[in-house]
Amino acid sequence: MTSEPSPRRGVIALIPDACTSCMLCVKECPTWCIELDSHPEQIEELGARPRTVNVLDDFRIDYGLCMYCGICIEVCPFDALEWKPDFNYPASTRSGLSQDTQQLARWLAESASDS
Amino acid sequence: MAVYDQTTTNLLVVWRLASRPNARVQVMGAGLACCSLEVEAAAATGLLVREEAEPPKPEPPTATVLVVAGTITEALEPALERLHAELVQQGPVRVMSFGACATSGGPYWDAPTVAKGIRSFPVESYVPGCPPRPEALVAELERLVDSMAAA
Repeated sequence: MTSEPSPRRGVIALIPDACTSCMLCVKECPTWCIELDSHPEQIEELGARPRTVNVLDDFRIDYGLCMYCGICIEVCPFDALEWKPDFNYPASTRSGLSQDTQQLARWLAESASDS
Repeated sequence: MAVYDQTTTNLLVVWRLASRPNARVQVMGAGLACCSLEVEAAAATGLLVREEAEPPKPEPPTATVLVVAGTITEALEPALERLHAELVQQGPVRVMSFGACATSGGPYWDAPTVAKGIRSFPVESYVPGCPPRPEALVAELERLVDSMAAA
């Protein structure tokens, strides 16, 4: 191709540190292609009441199901999901299309030509 | 059944990869739904060439890549299965599942009349997208054609 592909219909990348495991994307996804695991953790700071936060364990997008509608990106209150231009991530097995937190985070830094 | 005879031939478009003009691998496009438009888009940009638009090759193709692009309804599934069986009789076939529908049913994952992806024959490669970009099709075709040429 002569022109650089637009990030649309590329890939959805994750900023793991921005994700609060609120599950909004998981619930809004029309094809239920997002899987999210988290656990609550107590945070105690001096002079403050202890509070509980969710810590992200695993975030997976099954690109064999994803319809690239971008609803997850729209609903994320913390902008933890983003369009990225990479389009070239085929798999030899069906389960190989399910991408984990590390891969989703890797896409954040990558451009289309890196893959 | 007669209706399937009709459908089987209509399903197929034979392509050649512009970047591999001498590959003796033919690309069969089984366009079942909107993903097939991306195959056409690849042709519109010159990445794929329609077989009949080219002079006949001196040697017959030795291998085939079957690109299943689109939603597999249960009504069409037997036709697709037969198409694959016919291709297998002619020589080695590698199947590419192009897009979410051919892979898992995609947006129609809970539709009662849609198959949850290709299930009647083995798939060599799954290309993700809804639909995938034409560049993704061509990149994966190149990889498949090269691997078949090396084999």
